[in-house]
Amino acid sequence: MDRNDSFREFVAAHQHALMRTAYLLTGDAHQAEDLLQSVLLKVLRRWSRLSHVERPEAYARKALVNQHISWRRRRVWTELLAAEPPDRPHSSEDSTLVRLVMRQALMGLPPRQRTVIVLRFYEDRTERETAELMNCSIGTVKSQTHYALARLRKLAPGLAPKLAGLETEEVYG
Amino acid sequence: MTWLRDVLVELADEAPRVDLAERTIATRDHRRRTAISLLAAAMVVVIALGGTLAVRLMPQAPTPTTSGKDDLPARGVGPLSHAYKTFCKPVSGKAPSHCRDGGWRVVTRSGRTYHVPEALPSLSPGRTGLRDSPLAISRDGRKIAYYSAKEGTFQVRDLASGAKTTAPMKLPPNTWLYSVTRLMLSDDGRFVALSKVPDLKDPALLFDMRDRVVRELPARWVPIGLSPDGATITLAEYSPNSQLRTISNLWPPTSPGNSTAVILPQHYAFSPLAPDGKTVAAVENHSTAEKPCQMGDLVLLDPLTGKKRKTVPIRGLSADVSTIYLRTWRSADEVTALTTSVRCRPASEVPDDEPAQIDPPYRTFTAYAVNVRTGEARKLTTYRAQGIFGIAMPGPPGAI
Repeated sequence: MDRNDSFREFVAAHQHALMRTAYLLTGDAHQAEDLLQSVLLKVLRRWSRLSHVERPEAYARKALVNQHISWRRRRVWTELLAAEPPDRPHSSEDSTLVRLVMRQALMGLPPRQRTVIVLRFYEDRTERETAELMNCSIGTVKSQTHYALARLRKLAPGLAPKLAGLETEEVYG
Repeated sequence: MTWLRDVLVELADEAPRVDLAERTIATRDHRRRTAISLLAAAMVVVIALGGTLAVRLMPQAPTPTTSGKDDLPARGVGPLSHAYKTFCKPVSGKAPSHCRDGGWRVVTRSGRTYHVPEALPSLSPGRTGLRDSPLAISRDGRKIAYYSAKEGTFQVRDLASGAKTTAPMKLPPNTWLYSVTRLMLSDDGRFVALSKVPDLKDPALLFDMRDRVVRELPARWVPIGLSPDGATITLAEYSPNSQLRTISNLWPPTSPGNSTAVILPQHYAFSPLAPDGKTVAAVENHSTAEKPCQMGDLVLLDPLTGKKRKTVPIRGLSADVSTIYLRTWRSADEVTALTTSVRCRPASEVPDDEPAQIDPPYRTFTAYAVNVRTGEARKLTTYRAQGIFGIAMPGPPGAI
């Protein structure tokens, strides 16, 4: 098996999970593909070393998060909100509308706040893990989470009750 | 938190399903070549300015990415991703650039494209004389089999070394390459099987290219798998009934072999034999003349008994997919599905006097990797070809 084959195996095993995270971070299929491919290129360039470490996917995930944040910092904010959610009364249990509203609200968050929401609430990472992935302190994760949830409640007032009470205190030994 | 997570999981379900491995490797290789080219160019400038003879020290110029006009080099070609046949005057749309009428083009995993001039074109010069000159790719993509115009029979070529083996028997193309030919190359490149559907009068053949012997196989069956020792072949038939057949003890060539055939109770489109050598995947085909393109669930079949081992619905295909063809096994659990999204006309909408399209337009085939345990499909890539028999994928052909 040559080096490319082991890289292919790595990609086959992890690209789906990484793509899901990339999609949540970018909110766009094409940007998600671009983001993940640029990360996989980094991984491939270092593959001779990474293929021997225990969890090369951890490197890829961290690169994905940081690449997303640095891309978003550099880029002009060009994202336009997609079509408005249907203008009709809806229940917060209507899953399609909830998804639509939540996607728009997520897109309204700055990159670090969106990242913290994805890592904490989608990937179920602890504050410590989130801080390590984002290269920041636990305090920053706490504050970013707080601001992100507050902004989500503002952007999606219909979902505000559901978004209340999501901040929890973690105890560190 | 569970509620928010559930919403985010549902959102993440919309993420695209693509395979980025090959694209990433190709991008890396392309950038590397570009970097080397720039470095080489810079060195030339420096050397020219210095008036030295150090040109010898320059790295060898990299081969540029081909534009599709090059012939297959004699050796040193990487593994293939697929091959496609080209006819150059489609009734609508464009033919590929540098098109050669009736010729085969091979595409490497890194995206290089080459003509295969040694393979007999499927169209005589002047667009007279249509025949079906097949090409097969070994499962690892490193060998091809084709009908050699020069040798008048089939050849197997190792793409890296350039080594060739030639079948022991001449086969005049006008009497052998008619109807739809199906060609299978064994994983090690030693065996080549040729079959034709419909069969007309000639038998199907199995060549042992190493020991230079040939044996006959029952006509009309599509070869879909061969055991590593070449002693057992799996065949499929899709019309008028779906059937599977296994013949063992194939050698010596005079041996009658032991044959087991099973007629299946419904219609299927079959995959090649799975890597375990004892499973065939298939897609249920519920089509009728008035309701064409009705593809059903994916099933795993025992080729000896025809018994269904598993049935799963295929999920994740584009909603407009009308036809599914199963091809290369990517692993023990994943098979490649080539799909098309075309409007299928009921027989009553097709005029009786509508002429057949000899040179149909090129259309898109979208490849998915389908997990045969879960039915989950993820998009891999797209190909352009004029029809399913104009694309060769690594490994044995599927039927249909």
